[in-house]
Amino acid sequence: MPIKSYLAHPHEDKKEDLIEALSTIEQCEIMAAQNKDVLILITETENKAEEAILKEKLDAIKSLKLLAMVSGFNTPQNN
Amino acid sequence: MYTSMTNRRKFIKKMAMLSAMTAAAAMFPGILFADEQERGIPDGSNLDWKKAPCRFCGVGCGVLIGTENGKAVAVKGDPKSPVNKGLCCVKGYHSIIALYGKDRLTKPLIKKNGQYVETSMKEALDLIASKMKETIKEYGKDAVSIYGSGQWTIPDGYVASKLFKGCIGTNNVEANARLCMATAVTGFLTSFGLDEPMGCYEDIDYADTFVLWGNNMAEMHPVLFSRLLDQRLKKGVKIIDFATRTTRTSMAADRSILFKPQTDLAVANAICYEIVHNGWMNRSFVEEHCNFSKGLTDMGYGLEDGYKFTDKPEKINFEDYKTFLEDYTPEKASKISGVTVKDIKYLAAQFGDPNKKVMSLWCMGMNQHSRGTWMNNLVYNIHLLTGKISEPGNSPFSLTGQPSACGTVREVGTLTHKLPHGVVTNKEHREFAAKIWDVPVENIPSKPTYHTVEMFRALDRGDIRFMWIQVTNPMVSMPKLKRYRDGAKKEGRFIVVSDIYPTPTTDIADVILPSAMWIEREGMYGNSERRTQYFEQMLEPPGEAMSDTMQLIEVAKRMGYEKQFYYKEETHIEEVYNEYRKHHVGKKHNMAPLEVLKSQPGALWPYVDGKSTKWRFNSKYDPACSNGKDFHFYGKPDGKAIIWQRPYEPAAEEPDAEYPFWLGTGRVVEHWHTGSMTRRIPVLHKAMPHGYVELHPEDAKRMQIRNGDSVKLTTRRGEIILPASVDQRGIPAPMQVFVPFFDENMLINDITLDSFCPISKEPDYKKCAVKVEKV
Amino acid sequence: MKKRLGIILLFTLLFIGFIVNWGYSYKKGLEEAYIPIKKESSGPVIYSEKKVFERSQFALEYLNMPVDEAHQRSLNSYYDNRAYPGAPPSIPHFLLEGERGMGGKACLQCHQNGGFVEKFNAYAPVTPHPEMINCKQCHVAQNSSSNFRETTFYKSITASVGSNSALPGSPPMIPHQIQMRENCLSCHAGPAAPKEIRVTHPERVNCLQCHVADTRDFVEIQTFVRTKSLKK
Repeated sequence: MPIKSYLAHPHEDKKEDLIEALSTIEQCEIMAAQNKDVLILITETENKAEEAILKEKLDAIKSLKLLAMVSGFNTPQNN
Repeated sequence: MYTSMTNRRKFIKKMAMLSAMTAAAAMFPGILFADEQERGIPDGSNLDWKKAPCRFCGVGCGVLIGTENGKAVAVKGDPKSPVNKGLCCVKGYHSIIALYGKDRLTKPLIKKNGQYVETSMKEALDLIASKMKETIKEYGKDAVSIYGSGQWTIPDGYVASKLFKGCIGTNNVEANARLCMATAVTGFLTSFGLDEPMGCYEDIDYADTFVLWGNNMAEMHPVLFSRLLDQRLKKGVKIIDFATRTTRTSMAADRSILFKPQTDLAVANAICYEIVHNGWMNRSFVEEHCNFSKGLTDMGYGLEDGYKFTDKPEKINFEDYKTFLEDYTPEKASKISGVTVKDIKYLAAQFGDPNKKVMSLWCMGMNQHSRGTWMNNLVYNIHLLTGKISEPGNSPFSLTGQPSACGTVREVGTLTHKLPHGVVTNKEHREFAAKIWDVPVENIPSKPTYHTVEMFRALDRGDIRFMWIQVTNPMVSMPKLKRYRDGAKKEGRFIVVSDIYPTPTTDIADVILPSAMWIEREGMYGNSERRTQYFEQMLEPPGEAMSDTMQLIEVAKRMGYEKQFYYKEETHIEEVYNEYRKHHVGKKHNMAPLEVLKSQPGALWPYVDGKSTKWRFNSKYDPACSNGKDFHFYGKPDGKAIIWQRPYEPAAEEPDAEYPFWLGTGRVVEHWHTGSMTRRIPVLHKAMPHGYVELHPEDAKRMQIRNGDSVKLTTRRGEIILPASVDQRGIPAPMQVFVPFFDENMLINDITLDSFCPISKEPDYKKCAVKVEKV
Repeated sequence: MKKRLGIILLFTLLFIGFIVNWGYSYKKGLEEAYIPIKKESSGPVIYSEKKVFERSQFALEYLNMPVDEAHQRSLNSYYDNRAYPGAPPSIPHFLLEGERGMGGKACLQCHQNGGFVEKFNAYAPVTPHPEMINCKQCHVAQNSSSNFRETTFYKSITASVGSNSALPGSPPMIPHQIQMRENCLSCHAGPAAPKEIRVTHPERVNCLQCHVADTRDFVEIQTFVRTKSLKK
């Protein structure tokens, strides 16, 4: 099950929109920087198929300017 | 925070988040994730948390105060504050205990036949007002005075200045910040024409090298020091401790360089010599943005009553300056200072390296210095010569020791020569202030009267007959204390002291007023980085205790100034602040509106178009720059900063055969200033129960002094006995001793010298000659 | 002819070299023997302050280390190993390098930086004073479980956890002496740290900024009250 972390950069003045959009997605966990226009996004999915669906969802978000992956892990199925 | 291995997924998520946070921190220095920190703090069940700036030092940490049933019960660092990012020091964490000392003053006390008698607030205020009127009638306006402090909130200082300068018409307004920040002010004014640092704490996140000039930051500014250590862990910055004594800071630093007292002047000039001679000078910056000047030398030390000094600046050119520096080759400076040539070159190379961003930090070591203004100038010289100034990470930064030394004393201008905007000697500035104060301009005298040391001398002589002391403890903190204590006790002097606890200063009072402390009232503080922070009233003050602002307003009304002191009790802080803001209108000093201060952990002035200005004089960040160039030092008429030719001169009193040791005084992490608050906090008192004299182990061995033995210190002013401290918190250099000044039972200031910097009039507590004997 | 001249020149040079070298050594041999006195290098060192920062270079690693709950130590087992609070712990395992093993070749292999030791199924505690290598001067093995004669020695009460803060959530004071234990991180961070006293924020390395010594066990210190009373 892949767990990945990203830096998500919103379009100018769209940080709030982006936070809102991301927080509606079940597999996403976000942490917004308080004083800069960037937020940390952590995604957790069960398998590759779900990962692909999520990717499409993220691509559809309008307020998102850039998504830069920082790290990715794939943990074994048990646990 | 630790993660349990049993929940592997959670752990991996945590790792993913941490790596993202690290990446974000690398891309955006200074980035804050408040949510993350808040998760780690126990929420304190049902406590009500409200924000305030810390009561103690000038760093101005944001704290959250937990209250329950009308009592403050817990403190935590405010993770949203960009100053401390959720961390405090031991004083801050325990600060609220200082509200609840058993001997808290709750009722006004009036001295009658040598006895203090409880009375009502109304009667005490009536007495003060009538005594002031009487004194003015009998001895003139300049016989009444007020002595405040850098712990005054902004409204306290503002109404004090308005009452004394605007209404009564005397410039007898001073504050204890004269004893700690006056030199920083004159340093800024002479070099840049405008007070307070150009940079801000965020510089710490960008700098590569930190040079600490005589500044034991690990104990005195621990929260900022932790930000330095944080940067060292994250990106390997270098911390250089340049000092006269080995301290906790030296131990944490990458390099500790010791110099002989007073010789920092020579070393700083040698650094400039190296910069000029190794081609490290930023020529285009200097040509474009700097002038060269010299001033008078051999100024004296202000030891005699009525001493006066005015500098006569004279323009010079670069070649003159270069010739002057010939006296300060590293070899020559090494002979004066005892610093090795290698260390001087190492220091110079830090500033000279064009790829390194350098932050200089200093506090009392450089300010309480009989040539302190010069020393401030010299550090600015280094930064100006290399062009390392006014940009993120390149920052000469003057730290402060009191929560509102900047906010109240320097910005409101509660010093004899100052007005909220400008100085009393300037006609336009007087007119501007008089208009806002609603007083005739003739009320404000055009001549400054007494600076702090002179003010207490005037009290001794009888030129001043009435003094009101608020939020400070001069009978512990004045140098050459015995003279001023005896002077204050003389017949025909009337002293009012507003405080929260009995102190050696209340001992000399004729009237003692109980004050409301910190969060028992509403107010604002201004910290070292130009940040103004607001706090609301969270608690009821005990007994009849009243805020210093209200005390002053009440007396002003009784003296017949109802028109100027129109403030309503419920809204007076807001009204005072809004009136005060008018003095600073404009892009160079605009203060943030109160709503902004209430909604966030402070704002940096100049606050322009809804934004704090982080780096002044840099056109990229400062909207007040108007010369079309990358930098604009608009404090000076031609927009150029000044590089000063300032030589090395010895201290007022140096060790000799009879008094062979140097004596320096200072502070410890546990106690704040004279200890009247922190000593009433059991945790802090237990950790540091009394004063001591620190000796170098070799001196101690020679004199057969062991840790804890009684040692007698004798200077030309008197003697005192203290327990020895050998190999403990700090180690002074051989033939030097160090004594912290917090202990009112061991008043080291009885024997210190009242020499001061002739330009700033700030005393030099760090240097006098002393004899050391085992008793 | 030229060749011969060259050879003569070469030998002359060698001879001169020999004479010079011999003369120099002879002179050196005549000098009096002396022991160079060591000069104190850089400034003085305050051990109690310096060592606080000693393991701070590992602070970020400590922060990111997962906790192995199955192999944690507790404060009880920590104190069980000591005759009284602050006494040197005895060695609770057989000696891997035998009785003659010492310092860097034996104990410090595990106790300098810690780590999991398969043989003992535990994490090795980190010593706060790795520069002292004659370990068994103070730390002795437990070779017998019985006593020669019973003792009436009173084991004083150890400082408890969670009772050293003045306010809810305020940083606890240091309830123990720190001589030879100045290096906070060695016992308060990492997988071998007793779980009750493991620091949640090892990355804050200026420990004494918030945690000050509580001296009350050693000297009786009264709460500060002014000796001079106002209403005399």
